[in-house]
Amino acid sequence: MTAQVVEMQLNNPHDRTQWQHFLTSLGITNFSAREVDQIDTTLGLIEDDQLVGTGSIAGNVLKYVGVCNLNSRPGARFNQIVSALVSRLFQAHIFHMMVFTKAKYSLSFQHVGFKELAHSDEAAVLENGSPDIADFVRQLPSITNQDDQRVSAIVMNANPFTCGHRYLVEQAAAVSDLVYVFVVATDASLFRTAERVKLVQQGTADLPNVQVVSGGDYLVSAATFPAYFLDSAASAIEAQTTLDARIFKTQLAPALHITTRFVGSEPTSRTTAIYNQVLQRELPPTVSVQVVPRTEVADQPISARTVRQWIQSGNLTKLNQLVPPTTAQFIKNNLSVLQSRIQEGMKINGN
Amino acid sequence: MEIKTSAFAGTLESSDIQIMLMAGDNGIQIDLESDVIKQFGAQIKHVITTTLQQLNIDNVKVRAVDKGALDCVIKARTIAAAQRALETTTPAWEVL
Repeated sequence: MTAQVVEMQLNNPHDRTQWQHFLTSLGITNFSAREVDQIDTTLGLIEDDQLVGTGSIAGNVLKYVGVCNLNSRPGARFNQIVSALVSRLFQAHIFHMMVFTKAKYSLSFQHVGFKELAHSDEAAVLENGSPDIADFVRQLPSITNQDDQRVSAIVMNANPFTCGHRYLVEQAAAVSDLVYVFVVATDASLFRTAERVKLVQQGTADLPNVQVVSGGDYLVSAATFPAYFLDSAASAIEAQTTLDARIFKTQLAPALHITTRFVGSEPTSRTTAIYNQVLQRELPPTVSVQVVPRTEVADQPISARTVRQWIQSGNLTKLNQLVPPTTAQFIKNNLSVLQSRIQEGMKINGN
Repeated sequence: MEIKTSAFAGTLESSDIQIMLMAGDNGIQIDLESDVIKQFGAQIKHVITTTLQQLNIDNVKVRAVDKGALDCVIKARTIAAAQRALETTTPAWEVL
């Protein structure tokens, strides 16, 4: 007898209890609200009135995939639930999907068409569909004889773009033929992704060897590095940043001939400080890591967080000390919109 | 002809094949995953390629995950995926 795929409603207490109990029996025990709340769809596999498998979708990421192989051909239920999830995503016109899983399950996902982007001892990240990482690399701007040039990269959220970001880009541009500035693509910050990209572009427009591009799903995205956007345990940050660094080192850097990654020193944000440490551990010798000390104004490191706090309070008198004129103009023009986003619950003290 | 949207057909269950079609610009490029790729890889790719050619699709990226499908299944899944990608609904009788 074959199992039936059914949709489960996690806000229904009966389904939720059954789902959580089943996953707990498989050793999956993180049911914190911030993980579970992101789920869009949950499917269950029912055989003889028993739940024998489940999987969920959050955006384009597969989560909480687990099956019981008792009284079944190994792999059959896994394949059935992944098929159903992939089919759901395609019906929703989501053609590129990712999964973040324990390293020991990486092969199971590869058997159903996923490609591994990177793995560590504990975890692995895989993708399927299109556009994939090769397509991502192909659409990036390039220069002639790029393999012989000095190519650097910076990854920034730029929420918003400050004089500190500008200083970091200048330092990289001064010693490089080409600098890729990857702006975090996940839209989970006070400044929307399109706004952040535009302000970085405007703030670096006078530097001809700087290319401002999207980080896509591959650099500090909600798929590979959710802890950047949610306050998380140090162990989770460490695990996720290791994968993020390895995707950069093994996939992006060789394809784009990137030899140096520039980062700003991080005196205040714990998440970013761990990320910097992991980059310094993972990237060399393939890619060297240059830590540029933060620019200071009146003995205080320039921080986008300070700018966000000023936006909240509406006190913009010293704004020009911290941000370039383009960013300052944007903030002044859109102050009420930004303030209403904060009032609607947008957090400004994270990243 | 090139395809308009990405599309897929089929499942990952035993005796089936999942065919995913994505926009491409370099002929018919097939990326096949199969447990029997040594014995039947060439035959599976041949069935997919001929079916796509009969539908006049000559630029496409194909991701195929085979779980032991027979030729008739491979053909049916390819046609279904192609028609979804081309957004056509009338059956292609001449290909069947």
